[in-house]
Amino acid sequence: MEKKLAVYLCRGCDIGGALDMSALKDVATDEYKIELCHEHDCLCGDEGRELIAKDVNDGVNSVVVAACSPRFMTDVFTFDNVLTTRVNLREQVVWSHEANDEDTDMMAQDYLRMGIVRGQQAELPEPLEEEVDRTVMVVGGGATGLTAALDAAAAGNDVVIIEKEAQLGGWMSKWAKGIPHEAPYTAPQALDIVDQVAAVEANDKITVHTGAVIEKVAGMPGQFDVTLKGNGSEPFRVGSIVQATGWKPYDANKLGHLGYGISADVVTNVQMEEMLAAGKVIRPSDGKAPERIAFIQCAGSRDQDHLPYCSGVCCRVSIKQALMVREMSPETEAYVLYKDIRSPGQYESCYQKAQEDTGIFFTKAEVTGVTNGGGSLKVAAEDTLLGENVQLEADLVVLATGMVPRSADGELIRQYVDAKAVVAKGEEGAQLENAKVQVEELAYLEDAEILNLTYRQGPDLPTFKYDFPDSHFICFPYESRRTGIYPAGCVRAPLDGQAAKEDGSGAALKAVQALEVTAKGQAVHPRWGDMSFPDFALQRCTQCKRCTEECPFGTINEDEKGTPQPNLTRCRRCGICMGACPERIISFKDYSPGIIGNMIKAVEVPDEYDEKPRLLGLLCENDAYPALDAAGLKRIQHSKWIRFVPVRCLGSVNTVWIADALSSGFDGVLLIGCKSGDDYQCHFIKGSELMETRSGNVQEKLKQLALEEERVQIVQLPLNEFEKLPEIVNEFSDEIEDIGLNPFKGF
Amino acid sequence: MPEALLLKPDRKFVEEVIDAGGGDLKKCYQCATCSVVCGLSNEPSPFPRKEMIWAQWGLKDRLISDPDIWLCHQCNDCSLRCPRGARPGDVMAAIRQKAIEHYAFPSVMGRLVNSARAIPVMLLLVPALLIAGALLVRGPIEAAFNYVDPHGHEFYAHFFPHWLLIAFYTSLTLLTFGGLIVGLFRFWGGMKANDAALGKGAPILGFIPSTIKALMALLTHDRFGSCTDQASRKPAHFMAFYGFIALFIVTTWAVIDIYVMPYLGVATLYPFGLLHPMKILANVGGVLLIVGAGRAILTRKSAPKDGYHQSTTFDWVFVWLLLLVGISGFIVEIFRFVAEGAAGAEAYASGFATPAYAFYFMHLVLVFGLLVYLPYSKFAHMWYRLAAMIYGEHTGRTGPGKQLVKVDLS
Repeated sequence: MEKKLAVYLCRGCDIGGALDMSALKDVATDEYKIELCHEHDCLCGDEGRELIAKDVNDGVNSVVVAACSPRFMTDVFTFDNVLTTRVNLREQVVWSHEANDEDTDMMAQDYLRMGIVRGQQAELPEPLEEEVDRTVMVVGGGATGLTAALDAAAAGNDVVIIEKEAQLGGWMSKWAKGIPHEAPYTAPQALDIVDQVAAVEANDKITVHTGAVIEKVAGMPGQFDVTLKGNGSEPFRVGSIVQATGWKPYDANKLGHLGYGISADVVTNVQMEEMLAAGKVIRPSDGKAPERIAFIQCAGSRDQDHLPYCSGVCCRVSIKQALMVREMSPETEAYVLYKDIRSPGQYESCYQKAQEDTGIFFTKAEVTGVTNGGGSLKVAAEDTLLGENVQLEADLVVLATGMVPRSADGELIRQYVDAKAVVAKGEEGAQLENAKVQVEELAYLEDAEILNLTYRQGPDLPTFKYDFPDSHFICFPYESRRTGIYPAGCVRAPLDGQAAKEDGSGAALKAVQALEVTAKGQAVHPRWGDMSFPDFALQRCTQCKRCTEECPFGTINEDEKGTPQPNLTRCRRCGICMGACPERIISFKDYSPGIIGNMIKAVEVPDEYDEKPRLLGLLCENDAYPALDAAGLKRIQHSKWIRFVPVRCLGSVNTVWIADALSSGFDGVLLIGCKSGDDYQCHFIKGSELMETRSGNVQEKLKQLALEEERVQIVQLPLNEFEKLPEIVNEFSDEIEDIGLNPFKGF
Repeated sequence: MPEALLLKPDRKFVEEVIDAGGGDLKKCYQCATCSVVCGLSNEPSPFPRKEMIWAQWGLKDRLISDPDIWLCHQCNDCSLRCPRGARPGDVMAAIRQKAIEHYAFPSVMGRLVNSARAIPVMLLLVPALLIAGALLVRGPIEAAFNYVDPHGHEFYAHFFPHWLLIAFYTSLTLLTFGGLIVGLFRFWGGMKANDAALGKGAPILGFIPSTIKALMALLTHDRFGSCTDQASRKPAHFMAFYGFIALFIVTTWAVIDIYVMPYLGVATLYPFGLLHPMKILANVGGVLLIVGAGRAILTRKSAPKDGYHQSTTFDWVFVWLLLLVGISGFIVEIFRFVAEGAAGAEAYASGFATPAYAFYFMHLVLVFGLLVYLPYSKFAHMWYRLAAMIYGEHTGRTGPGKQLVKVDLS
């Protein structure tokens, strides 16, 4: 379709008073020969919108709105079937620079140039058309999975539950009572898992496969083809997946220092739960009823040598167990030795209740050993509230072990499989030695697969810290690095029964939403509603595999030759593949190496005699761009030499832009992305890290050109430090001024 | 390095402390607010925080031999500030009662005097029977020794002669006082043993200077000055304390005047007239005792439920005894002066005699409860506290400037 472009300049919010508006208008009308260019005092008002709507009616299909940040008035400037390009004159020009200044005018004009170029070259994205099956598959039939299944079914979706055991219900169906979940939260309470199982079995939208595990999940969101093994069922198709595979207790065999193994009377909290369920608490060694039971909290938890984290439930479980024991046998005493009692919220009432029982004794303590001693066990502890080292005699010791997720690190499994392949090939060399070591180290991953995804990057969700499937839960709840697959419950974080159920609900809603937006051809989190998707011009592909390797979401499989095979509903539209591709064959309709490159080239770089440096800022639009807006709102000033171009992710930056900028006379390039590392804030997981890696190549190029390496810098900005951004920009600007202008200027 | 403490929780003791008024002790979660707000607490293991965890674990030996429970003057600043409502002040009071009971000699007395059920018997019936018994044996004894009481003509001596009064009370009081001495020695030994087990308690000040310092603190009541929320407790305690001392001095002097002075050739002045210095001291002491005890009762009665000390039977018996001894003393005195004024020395024959002697009998019963039971009742706190204060000075446990943090409680 032929482009018909119009430009609108807003004078509102200080813009008109701070800029030479006629010079700005000349850029559109004289330089770019745009016939339709309007000025208005308040473009976002009814009259202003009317003005644009009229032109749209007359056939304009690309509007360039030079006004406020695109983060404001988005709805007002959105028109059906029209490409809108926003030029941020307010936050990033007039609110952050001196008014009526030559350099401020030059900046506004450059931004308008870039906007017009984008308006001319970008295309309106068209939705991806893929068939979407709206069935949600829930892997794991415990409290989380059952809740997820019931909620997804209640939302109108068909549901399939896969449970490896013969019955539904998981851990909670094995216990007599749970920690209280209703007011007054003071006494152990019967579990309602039986009702949940019954509700699932009675629901005709839910199909249950028990005694089954997954052999293979092929395909992509909306089109996952699942094959089971174990129960002889036919393959079937589902749309999205909730992984509620739960937890297993930390291996107590590693807790010899706490007496596990020295006596049958040192048991885990799970063994204690089994005894309580059987209705009889005994000393396993002689079958007698224990008179003194010591509960050792954090057994292996919050311990760098074992589980470094707190499972968050063991305190409450031990309190519950102590109360249950005391109720069953009032003569029995319970000693609870804890690092810190963690009974948040209403659970405090249960702790208080236990505390008031004269038969339950609490002290903070670091247990230093459990030994056999004359028919009973001796527990030694230091750092107690009693202010001295203590010894306790107990007939039964209960180790409150923590929860370990039932996860499998897909990416590590992939490494393991690759290493095994190298070993099998048996070619000589260092590679073989490395592979052998790796095979040995990763042998525990043999048969560890859970989902068995046919993804190039491994058969399961990649895990992050402490083997939990990756999810920055505060920022991106339930998200994993595989689109349409949502971990929930104790596989995601250690949770109690109630919290696990809530988690199941949350993940179920995510799974349902994913199907709905995928059916509309839109992206899911974090680019909700984005209809653009990557296009691969495969005839020019050199099979370098960078895109398949770098995609954080496992979107791209590859054939035997290494040609990428995109599965587009897995895609989050971050553009990391586009940034990776050395041949620049990957592009989006409104975001491509060409469009951004031409926008950069549209900036007028003054020649060396003007002594006006030009800096390029490539700004991640997830955190850094809003941060700059926020600084503008606070009228914090930043360098007048810089020109910012928003990018979808720092990982989507193709280094050709940097090379082109430097060769066209820019004096420096500043790349600003999100925080990486363990507590990363990158919306696409590893954008900043990838950019760091790629900048190695950039630095090499700088060397070849005999340019200073300081001319290209990467900054990671945590969003909460947005106020530092102008300072960072200014420091960069000062540094470049000190180094001097780019010697290639004007060539 | 002290050896690891073998924790053997004494649940029975926990329950006893709870029953004695420490009902909220299990609520403590060791935040140490109590020790921080306490104006008297000491370093490095401040009370009442450590006593709370000891009490939770039923560490009886630790608690009853703990000098710190006595260094507490029960202002209850801690209970008011406790975020958990564990009432450390009340727990400390309950532990003190258990300590008095524990060190009681003979121990059966400790149990009997403080048993709520035994109170009517121990406080009324036993003294009444003993006093009545004494009255019954008076005639036969006087006859047997052919004794003519030179004071027999005096108003109350006619009913209950001085010799019998002194023989009866002095012997019984000395008897139980012997028990108190035993208790105090054991307490001292317990404190030393406790500290030895913890590797502390090396003496830093001689026994005599320690005693002088402790006595000064006692006489000036300076520790009471640290109480902030219930500052009125200090004057009440001060008055009752000095009222009692005054009356004790007068009583002792009366005995000396009657039985020692004549041997020195000084004629007895007994019974003292209203303007006799000793009588004036007695009356002032009586008034102080009544006002002090009365104020204490009113304060205790009006104490709000939150934080303020909730008095137990142990407390009530003691303060009421003090008050009633004072009141009955004045009634008895008024009867005497009125009777003497109206009917002269032979007043016992007049119509005043019956009610006057009845009140005198009651007064004697009350005094019995106060004096003879002293080592077993709350009254014993005076001696245990003094012992703990001496020990505290002796081992450097107390002293001004040892407060943890000065907290503005306004």
